Amino acid sequence: MAKSYGWAGKVLQVDLANEIVNKVPTADYRPEEFIGGVGLNAKIFWELGCPKVDAFDPGNPLIVSVGPLTGTYGPFSRGEVCSISPQCYPDELFSYSGFGGRFPAEMKYAGYDGVVILGKAEKPVYLSIHDEDVEIKDAPDLWGVETFETQKALMADEPEASTLVIGPAGEHLSRIAVILNETKFAAGQGGFGAVMGSKNLKAIAVRGTGVVAVAKPDKVLELTRTIMEENKKVIIARLFFRTPYTAPQETKDIFAERYFRKHYGCYGCPLQCHSIHYIPGIGLSGVSCANWLWAPRFSTDPREVWEANVVSQRLGINTFEVMAGVPLLLALSFEAGILTRREIEEDIGLPTPKWLGGTATNHEFLTVLLQKIANGESPYAEGTAIFSEYFGKRSASGGKLVALYKELYTAHGYAFHHVDNLGSALHWATDTRDPIDSCHDYKNTLAPKEKFQAVMEHFGLPPYDNYQIVDLSKTVYQGAERVTAWVQDNQCLKNSLPVCEFWSQVTSFYNPPEMDLRIFESRLLSAVTGLDMNVDKLAKAGERIWNLRRAIMVKRENRTRENDTLNEPYFRKAITCYMGSAMGLVNGPIDKAKFEALKDRYYELRGWDVKTGWPTRAKLEELGLKDVADELASIGKLP
Amino acid sequence: MLPKSGVLVHDSNVCAGCGVCEVMCSLYREGLLGPALARSHIVRHPFTAKHGHNICRQCSSPGCYFACPLRDKAICIDETTGTTYIDEDECTGCEICIDACPFDPPRIKINADKNVAFKCDLCKGREGGPICVEYCPFQALKLVSKDERQ
Repeated sequence: MAKSYGWAGKVLQVDLANEIVNKVPTADYRPEEFIGGVGLNAKIFWELGCPKVDAFDPGNPLIVSVGPLTGTYGPFSRGEVCSISPQCYPDELFSYSGFGGRFPAEMKYAGYDGVVILGKAEKPVYLSIHDEDVEIKDAPDLWGVETFETQKALMADEPEASTLVIGPAGEHLSRIAVILNETKFAAGQGGFGAVMGSKNLKAIAVRGTGVVAVAKPDKVLELTRTIMEENKKVIIARLFFRTPYTAPQETKDIFAERYFRKHYGCYGCPLQCHSIHYIPGIGLSGVSCANWLWAPRFSTDPREVWEANVVSQRLGINTFEVMAGVPLLLALSFEAGILTRREIEEDIGLPTPKWLGGTATNHEFLTVLLQKIANGESPYAEGTAIFSEYFGKRSASGGKLVALYKELYTAHGYAFHHVDNLGSALHWATDTRDPIDSCHDYKNTLAPKEKFQAVMEHFGLPPYDNYQIVDLSKTVYQGAERVTAWVQDNQCLKNSLPVCEFWSQVTSFYNPPEMDLRIFESRLLSAVTGLDMNVDKLAKAGERIWNLRRAIMVKRENRTRENDTLNEPYFRKAITCYMGSAMGLVNGPIDKAKFEALKDRYYELRGWDVKTGWPTRAKLEELGLKDVADELASIGKLP
Repeated sequence: MLPKSGVLVHDSNVCAGCGVCEVMCSLYREGLLGPALARSHIVRHPFTAKHGHNICRQCSSPGCYFACPLRDKAICIDETTGTTYIDEDECTGCEICIDACPFDPPRIKINADKNVAFKCDLCKGREGGPICVEYCPFQALKLVSKDERQ
């Protein structure tokens, strides 16, 4: 076999029930076509037959993959977790969640492009990977231990190992439990921490002392200089997220001065976009961007927001759900008179702070809420969607609570996050979760007005002069389908190479004609792998991965165009972000008829059947997915 | 008397533990990716954020140099810069230098594939100096010149 460059070369398969460890060549999964990350994960899931099981069934595979660029200098040390997601609502869907940190690079250096976990261990275990040595080890003493302490305990045995862990929330199958690396790097959305918990898998500890060969080191070295130069333009973002960005300047200055320690981030990346703070009495941890969302709505004290994050991290809870979920729903319900203080205190069992009519401190409120989530005490632990349904049924005014939830939660059980225009709305509708790792593209990447036309022409997204497509204040349907398809393909590519969404959107890589991220990606991937990975091949790979993901939705989840939608309030009223800013569809509700017509055009553009929203044989074969077309035909789901 | 060398110093107060120095070192020196073959080694402490750093200290009286059975061939001292370096073409991988290194862990390692010892030589001959210093995002690594060195 030819020497493998870029890819580590192996996929690790672990059957926890039968304690079988198997290694298969990455080449079996056609990495040149599916790249890595979500692409490799989707391919692996397809080959496993897209099991129609529940998220907590032992037959649900938990798949973690890195990509051919992982371990290189730059924003590439990212991993992607894919599995059937317990957070998706009302149906559990095959979904994805990216994470950064040191784990992805370490896994690559250990020799693995992917790790597939199947089955359920009889009792609590952790997976120990030290290069070729892979062992399922008992972990009775780690069960019940919070995430930071679990990692410290594992590092006592193997100081240089990097670990993915779950906290008590994952053990108790909270649908908003995360998988965490170090303090801040989490596969957050999806509830995949609970999938690990359902397998009795407390942690994956990996130590890699190997190396990854690159085909053209001199060329890679030359390209690192471009990355370093581009990074200088991004550094401002690092400073921006050091403090709560919506707070008054004075508050920010005081907070940074007292508590900021240093920046940190993913392995090998020059940006280091996260911030480490230390607050006496709470501890040391990291935050970035959305971690600060709680600030404007509930508290003027950044320390309270920071504490909410750190307690969530330690218990293994998705901080975004705490920032945009239950507390917000409670606050809005209370303000609208749907829930009374007494109901919140007695029925829901939470102490009420001032903004819920009571006298508890935010600290008291958050401590109880987070502990209840971590302990798996329904219904908070089930996530905001199930929480709303539960109380919706119990309370006389419960219908209103559910309606409110559906405003806050855009689709598939995920909270509002950058639904900024019709392009991103269509993306939300056709994905399996919040497409936050690409939502930014719809306004940040494509929106700089002075370059808009050049960007749109470069990427072939007519009408070239219609800036209103991405304008937050407008609601433009025409042409949005092209933007959506472009961003989705690009998202698949980014999550497969992988390239960090956050890093890439603020560089000039999206400002053609001087530079275009795909040109750069193509050069770097070609230099790393030695293959001719030209721009067209990369674009095709992105489209292939999106189509395979669609085929999984069609095969496993009976997805049709009826499911490609947002929650009902989005077609009834203007929805804006409730966290204090005016992001969102501020110009009014989405017109249902126009949205359906937009979907028609989207399916046509995709080469899918307009009536069902299913991929066609012609499209699948064009993408080299004949086997997928044959399988869909055999189950009567090929139009 | 041996010529003095410059030395790399690390500031743990600003080091993010990002590993850029390791990646760039292995890429520049070995043409591949992996901290295992980097001359710069970050000792990460993610829960205190105080990261350590292990690298050749360019001793003024280098034990490795005096211990090397092929002194001035395998381990040499650059007459101009004073930097102790290993000539891979001459090194036999005997590991005597590793035992002679006064630091724990030793700042010389073995490249098992090539069967040679390797350590930091401040990117000998590289225009612009050590690549780790150039790429460090926080200026946590600095080259202290032989004149500035205490």
